[in-house]
Amino acid sequence: MARQHLLKVGVSGVRGVIGGFLTPALGASYAQAFGTYVGKGRVVIGRDTRTSGEMLTHAVNCGLLAAGCEVIDLGVIPTPTIQIYIAHTRARGGMALTASHNPPEYNALKLFNREGLFFNHYERSELLDLFHQSDFARAGNEEIRAVRQDLTTAPALHLARVLSRVDADAIRRRRFRVALDGVNGAGSELSVRFLQSVLGTQLEAISVDPTKVFPRIAEPRPDTLTELAELVRRSGSDVGFGQDPDGDRLAVCDETGQVLDNDDVLALAVHRALAYTPGDVVVNLTTSAAIDDIAMAHGRKVYRTPVGEANVVEMMQAVGAAIGGEGSSGGIIYPAVHLCRDSYTAMALVLDLMAETGKTVSQLVAELPRYTRLSGKVAFEHGRLGTLMQSLEEGFPDAETNRMDGLKLSWADRWLHVRSSNTEPLLRLAVEARTAEAAQTLFDDAWRQLTS
Amino acid sequence: MNSALRISHVGLRGIVGKGLTATHVMEFAAAFGTFLEPGRPVVLGRDPRLSGNMIREGVVASLLGCGHDVIDLGVVSTPVVQHAIQRLDAAGGIAISASHNTIDWNALRFFGPSGIYLNTAEAGELLDIYHLRRFRYEEWNRLGKLVVVDTAIDAYLDGLERVFDLESLRPLKVVVDCCNGTSALILRRMNERFGCGFILINERVDGRTVAHTPNTSASIVELQLGPLMKPLGADAGFLFDMDADRVALADEQGRGISEEMILPMLADHLLPSSVGKLVIANLSSTALLEDVAARHGGRVLRVPVGRQAAIDALSTYRPEQIALAGEGTGAVMMPQFRFVYDGIASMLAILTMMRQRGQSVSEILAGYPKHHILKAEIPLTSSNIPALLIELQGLYPDGQMDRSDGLRISWPDRWFHVRVSQTEPIIRVIAEQRGAEPRELFESLLERVRSLN
Repeated sequence: MARQHLLKVGVSGVRGVIGGFLTPALGASYAQAFGTYVGKGRVVIGRDTRTSGEMLTHAVNCGLLAAGCEVIDLGVIPTPTIQIYIAHTRARGGMALTASHNPPEYNALKLFNREGLFFNHYERSELLDLFHQSDFARAGNEEIRAVRQDLTTAPALHLARVLSRVDADAIRRRRFRVALDGVNGAGSELSVRFLQSVLGTQLEAISVDPTKVFPRIAEPRPDTLTELAELVRRSGSDVGFGQDPDGDRLAVCDETGQVLDNDDVLALAVHRALAYTPGDVVVNLTTSAAIDDIAMAHGRKVYRTPVGEANVVEMMQAVGAAIGGEGSSGGIIYPAVHLCRDSYTAMALVLDLMAETGKTVSQLVAELPRYTRLSGKVAFEHGRLGTLMQSLEEGFPDAETNRMDGLKLSWADRWLHVRSSNTEPLLRLAVEARTAEAAQTLFDDAWRQLTS
Repeated sequence: MNSALRISHVGLRGIVGKGLTATHVMEFAAAFGTFLEPGRPVVLGRDPRLSGNMIREGVVASLLGCGHDVIDLGVVSTPVVQHAIQRLDAAGGIAISASHNTIDWNALRFFGPSGIYLNTAEAGELLDIYHLRRFRYEEWNRLGKLVVVDTAIDAYLDGLERVFDLESLRPLKVVVDCCNGTSALILRRMNERFGCGFILINERVDGRTVAHTPNTSASIVELQLGPLMKPLGADAGFLFDMDADRVALADEQGRGISEEMILPMLADHLLPSSVGKLVIANLSSTALLEDVAARHGGRVLRVPVGRQAAIDALSTYRPEQIALAGEGTGAVMMPQFRFVYDGIASMLAILTMMRQRGQSVSEILAGYPKHHILKAEIPLTSSNIPALLIELQGLYPDGQMDRSDGLRISWPDRWFHVRVSQTEPIIRVIAEQRGAEPRELFESLLERVRSLN
């Protein structure tokens, strides 16, 4: 039986299954460690629509107040909105209570520093030590404050930031027909407001009730967005958008009801952003080489990082990137808005590109460099990982090797990437090539080596 | 800092930040959520201490996590929480309040479905669950929901209105020291709703500052209200602790009345009309109770000192057998109020008594035989308290003996009580006599305890 990671307390925060694993007491302790780390001052929290969100909010409040922090609770709200608010209000830091695209029985704490960015690697390991040492700041009666709620400022701030980076009037003039699947997530109400009232689209929305449970698998992918695709076809929409529960990831469906590969969405956004903003591009190792082609066309460079939003953001900050993201997971990071993965920025860039070019989504995608991508998962036993990687490397002696995150082997026209999952005892294999046949051949070769 | 945290049968108590931490709060609340039967909500309230903000969040999280809906009444007195439990058909309740302790303390107090404190057996089970740390956390789709209710004080006042003729109390001029606690919220509302005209001092409720130690003793009430009584022409003065479960009294002359007197006064008021004739009191409180009880055919049951013994005694009798129960601290429970220590109800009972008799506080007290009480504390040095008590007992063979909490020996006109404090390393020595100070008994007692200690 596959081991399941019911609770993970690590450098990326805390994530676990509710009901005995991620307990309220654990949430409070972690929050108290966080409050101790960032210091007595304003800390911003918000959550997605999971049933455990309310419970976890109170637990986190308890820990933060106990550390002497002043808590600003933004309520049910997308993660990027929290991040933008933190930076804008010069808070000490913040937390999003969300397990992002994970199933509803999970919840997690995402941690942000005073700039509203993911904690970097050093900050994360310092915090983890503090948590284990249990040497927390403990406020006395005088220093403990009431939680303050602010439900209105942050959404308005977020939308204004996004709108300032696109030609909103051009989008409004087109009166696009847009379909939306909000997965009953934290963005449900904000997305309707953004698309309908602010951008003047003719909106057909499903799953935009934040009081209900997730109606589909939470991760927005072609295979989970069949209902959205159906809605696009039925309503004759120009485009369809599918969000995840905390509104950072976005999948896009074209006007024919075809859900785009997430790498293509990133490619469209990179294409649009580079036209507006000078700078280089940062993506993870598993992201399509199409990004390199587009960057090259704009005379820009691409930096590669290990998988994980925090890694991409760290590199983007270091090189002053114009745009970045993670292809396969549906994440666009546009620092002109904020250095965070943001589905609203992604929606705006796609609509902006449609408005400016007058082209349909499928036409825009057809103009992108063509690659075929394949992926799969292989179960493995701990201890065998090194051997597997080594034999793979030896099996492809002519490839360029990158061991930054698992193993990436690259050729001029194709690459393969194998890495172990952070969440399950699985190896993830991804390949990309210019043609479907080449991709299949590479995938089959690698698969044989990993499973033999 | 040896007293900064106490975990016992009466719950969890400590100085916030120093001894009492978020983790204690969350685990104790989770233990309570595990202890209570599932399926019914839990009522929550807190006194205005700022630390209550933090503790409230932790308690809510743990209870929701254990699958209980939580009904939060906000900043209310402990009696308001207790009344709401039964009214809302809840599984139980928690009051976040360190009551008469200083502002830097806080505590969790636990109540069962009847709104009464947990008895010793129940509290023992709760403690065992806490120490085992095996809590019944529910899965993601079976978690509780939080409901915030801001009408609890009015509902509580509806209850008071059914028992007391509040309008008849209007002619009395009453001054109240709210000690910056929850009584201010209740009394303000009573002024609005019933035109009570209570004059309130120290009524600012910010949870940060208190005008004085929230203790209901005669000396504090005299210091606070004494100078005001005559200039205001007030008939009675009352002083509450932070969560309004205890009350202290000043007479119209501005004298602080011993907290010991609240229980006998209420016994005198309630016994004549009460079906139950039993008065439950602890071994250290005044023998005036026996005198008063005798006038109305009542009987005094003496139990060990502390709230827990009084709560346990309640559960060994049928409610209709009991006239009232209480301690010498100004904490009194009456069956009309479902055996809740309620300072506001005690105040209203005393005011009703004054109106019905047409007597002032000092006139009522003048009608009682005078008992003189002497109290002392001796630092504890002996490690063999039982031997000390047995030796002491041998020295007074002629009295009637009670060994249920230290040693109490009584004679028809006097008694003494020697016991070890549950909260501090001291031996408490108390002697009382009708008519004159028991100076001789007290001094020889002190000398003997010191030599044996």
